[in-house]
Amino acid sequence: MATSTPTPPTPTVDLSVDLAGLRLAGPMMTASGTCGYAWEYGDFVDLTKLGAFVTKSITLHPRKGNEAYRIVETRGGMLNAIGLANVGLEVFLKEKLPQLADMRSKGPRIIVNVAGHSVEDYVVTTQRIADEKAIDAIELNVSCPNVKDGLTFGTDPLLLRQLIKEVRASMRRDCKLIVKLSPNVGDITLTARAAVEGGADVLSMINTYTAMAIDIHKRKPRLANTTGGLSGPAVRPLAVYLVNRVYRAVARDANVPIIGMGGIQTWQDAAEFLLAGASALAVGTALFVDPATPIKIMDGLSSYLAQQKCASLREIVGTLKIDP
Amino acid sequence: MNALPSPVHDVTPTRDLFEARVEVNRRMCRDHYLLRLRITGPRDFPTTQPGQFIQLGCANPDRASRDTREEVTWQPGEVPALHQDELCHPSAFLRRPFSLSGRGDDVLGTWVEVIHRVVGVGTDWLSKLRVGDAVDFVGPLGNTFTRTPGKNNALLVGGGVGLPPMFYLAEALDAAGWKAMAFVGATTSELLAVSIEEGLVPESDGRPNRSIVQFASYSDPSVVTSDDGTIGMKGRVTDGLLPVIEKMSGAERSKTVIYTCGPEPMMHAVTKLAERFGIECQVCLEQAMACGMGTCQSCIVKIEPDTARGEVAQGRSVEGRDWRYKLACTDGPVFDSRRVVWG
Ligand SMILES: Cc1cc2nc3c(=O)[nH]c(=O)nc-3n(C[C@H](O)[C@H](O)[C@H](O)COP(=O)(O)OP(=O)(O)OC[C@H]3O[C@@H](n4cnc5c(N)ncnc54)[C@H](O)[C@@H]3O)c2cc1C
Ligand SMILES: Cc1cc2nc3c(=O)[nH]c(=O)nc-3n(C[C@H](O)[C@H](O)[C@H](O)COP(=O)(O)O)c2cc1C
Ligand code: FES
Repeated sequence: MATSTPTPPTPTVDLSVDLAGLRLAGPMMTASGTCGYAWEYGDFVDLTKLGAFVTKSITLHPRKGNEAYRIVETRGGMLNAIGLANVGLEVFLKEKLPQLADMRSKGPRIIVNVAGHSVEDYVVTTQRIADEKAIDAIELNVSCPNVKDGLTFGTDPLLLRQLIKEVRASMRRDCKLIVKLSPNVGDITLTARAAVEGGADVLSMINTYTAMAIDIHKRKPRLANTTGGLSGPAVRPLAVYLVNRVYRAVARDANVPIIGMGGIQTWQDAAEFLLAGASALAVGTALFVDPATPIKIMDGLSSYLAQQKCASLREIVGTLKIDP
Repeated sequence: MNALPSPVHDVTPTRDLFEARVEVNRRMCRDHYLLRLRITGPRDFPTTQPGQFIQLGCANPDRASRDTREEVTWQPGEVPALHQDELCHPSAFLRRPFSLSGRGDDVLGTWVEVIHRVVGVGTDWLSKLRVGDAVDFVGPLGNTFTRTPGKNNALLVGGGVGLPPMFYLAEALDAAGWKAMAFVGATTSELLAVSIEEGLVPESDGRPNRSIVQFASYSDPSVVTSDDGTIGMKGRVTDGLLPVIEKMSGAERSKTVIYTCGPEPMMHAVTKLAERFGIECQVCLEQAMACGMGTCQSCIVKIEPDTARGEVAQGRSVEGRDWRYKLACTDGPVFDSRRVVWG
C-alpha cells in the first residue's frame, strides 16, 4: 500500500452526473436488490448523499421467491438465488412510494427497478410506476438469472428491442428508461445495441453471472434453485471489461451513458469503471459488508480526480488509454 | 420515516458498524472459541438483549475499507497497490452472524462476547485472532427473547452453537428475578463449550446439578446430555428435559417459558414437547445470511401468517399448515414456537 501521507488534496471536484438529462448530485448509486425499498439502511448511513437510490425489482404481482438456501459465499463473492422476492406493485405504491418521495425531497434521484415475465407485465408495471412524479427513472431488469425464463429478454436482441420499444412508448416521457444488461450472453454489444435502438436512455451493467456451487459431500447444489447469480469482487474484472466493450462499441457513439457495477467496493474499483466508460456507479454486494461503502467511495474519488487534475468527474469517463 | 419492519419486541433501532479490539480469545473445547471484543471508537454501544446477534467481519477490517478511507498518495509512475487479497487466498467476504453470549459495561466502556465453533474460513480466521487485534461488526441485530408478564420460570435448552445465547439469557433472567434451569445437548464431550465447576460433573442419570459454571453463577442447575454418553446423560437433550417437565405441576407449567436455540431437529423436538405440555416456547432460528439487516431477502424462515394483521399465506406445509416467509435477521431470530412451520 502506498501509505505515505503528503498534504491531503483539497478536492473541489464537480462530482455531478448527467444521465441523459437526469442530473445526479453525485455518481454513487445503490444496486437493485441489495438495499431494500427505501430507508432500510437509514440508521447506518446518510442515504441522502447518494446520487440515486435504486429499489429492489418490483413485479406486477407479489413474489415469495425461491426456497432456502438462497445464498452461498464463494471465493471473493457470493451466489444468490432470491428469485425476485418482492412486495408487488400494489403494496409498493401504497407503502414504499411515499418513503421514496420523502427520500427524493432530501436529494437522491429515485430509480425503480422493474421485472416481469411478459411484455404486458413489464408495460403495465412500468407505466403505472412512471406515472408517479417522485420516480425519476425506471431500470428494467431483463436479466434476472434466478427465475424461470428470466433470461430470455436479456439474451435475445430482437425480443429485447421489442420489449423496450413498447415499454418506452407507454411511459411518461420525462421518466428515464434504464436497461440493465445481462452478462450471460455471447456478445454483449448485440443486446446493448438492441436496447439503445429500442429506446433506452441509459444502460446499466452488469447483472449477476449465472453460476453454481456444489456441496461435494452431499453431491448436491448449494442453492435450492440449483444455480444462482455471482456478484461481488470476483466479477469486477469481467464487469469492467464488459463496460468498456459496450462503451466503445455502442454507448459512446450513441451518447448513451452507462451505469457501471459489479464488485465495486473501493474508490479504486470505482475509478476503473469510470475509466472504462461508466458515467455513474452502483454498489451492490459490498453494501452487505458496509452500507456506507458508496459514501466512502465518494471521498476517495474526489481526491483521485483532483490528483488526476480533473475539474469534474465527467472529464475522466471513458479516458482509458489503450495503445494502438 | 424508517422502513424497518416494526420490531416484534421493543428494541430501539440503533444498529451501526462498530470497531473493536480483541480482549480475550480463549479456546473452550476442541472447536469452540470465546471471543471478548472491546468496543473502540467514540460511539456508545446500544443496549442489547439476549437473542440478538452481530454480523462480525471475519477478515482484516482494513481489507474492505482501507482503500476508501485513506488519502490518495498515488503518484504518476508508481505501481498501484494491489487490493485483491480476497482473490489470493480463501478469506471471508461477507460478515458472519453470531449470537451475543454476553455483554458488559465497565469503566473502559463496553465489551461483547461471542462463542463460535470453527466450521469454515471465517470462523477459522476468528480463532487465530490475537489480543489487541482489530475487528469490526454490525450490530446489534435482530429481535430478542422476551419475558412473558406473569411468568417467572425458564427452561433454557441449548445445543451446539445454539448454547452461547443461553449464557446471556441466564444472566438477564437472573437479573429480572426469574428462576431458570438449563439443558445442554452436545454430540460428544469434546464439543461441549462450557466450563465445568471444579469437583463436579454433570450427572449421568440426568439429574440437574450445578456443574456448569456459566449457569451455576446464577445458581441455575443444569442437565447435560451427549449423543455418545461421553459426558452427562447419554441421549438427546429432550431426554433430559422430559422428566423435569413431567414432574412439574400444571400451575408451574403455566408460569414457565422454554427458550431454545440449536440445530433445527432439536428445536423442533423441543417445540413438540412444549406443545404437548402446554408450555410457552420461544425458538431462536438460524438461516444463512448475507446482510443481517433485512435487505437481501436471503434468511427466510416459514412462519404462520398473522391473519389478524392482514398477512396472507404464501404456501402450505405437508401437514397442511399455512406459512409465509419471514426474515430471520429482522423479523427474528426469535419466534413463538407455535408459529414456526418446520420442515
Ligand atoms: C442468527 C445466527 C446466530 C448464530 N450464532 C452463532 C454462534 O453464537 N456461534 C456459532 O459458532 N455460530 C453461530 N451461527 C452460525 C455461524 O454464523 C456460522 O457457523 C458461520 O457463518 C460459519 O462461517 P464460516 O466462514 O466459518 O463457515 P463457511 O466457510 O461459511 O461454511 C462452513 C460450513 O458451515 C456451513 N454453514 C455456514 N453458515 C451456516 C449457518 N448459518 N448455519 C448452518 N451451517 C452453516 C456451510 O454450509 C459449510 O458447510 C449463527 C448463525 C445465525 C444465523
Ligand atoms: C442478493 C442480491 C439480490 C439482487 N437482486 C436484484 C434484483 O432484484 N434486480 C436486479 O436487477 N438486480 C439484482 N441484483 C444484482 C445487483 O443489482 C448487481 O447488478 C450485481 O449484484 C452486481 O453488482 P455487485 O457485485 O456490486 O453486487 C441482486 C444482487 C444480489 C447480490
Ligand atoms: S440476512 Fe439479508 S435479509 Fe436477512
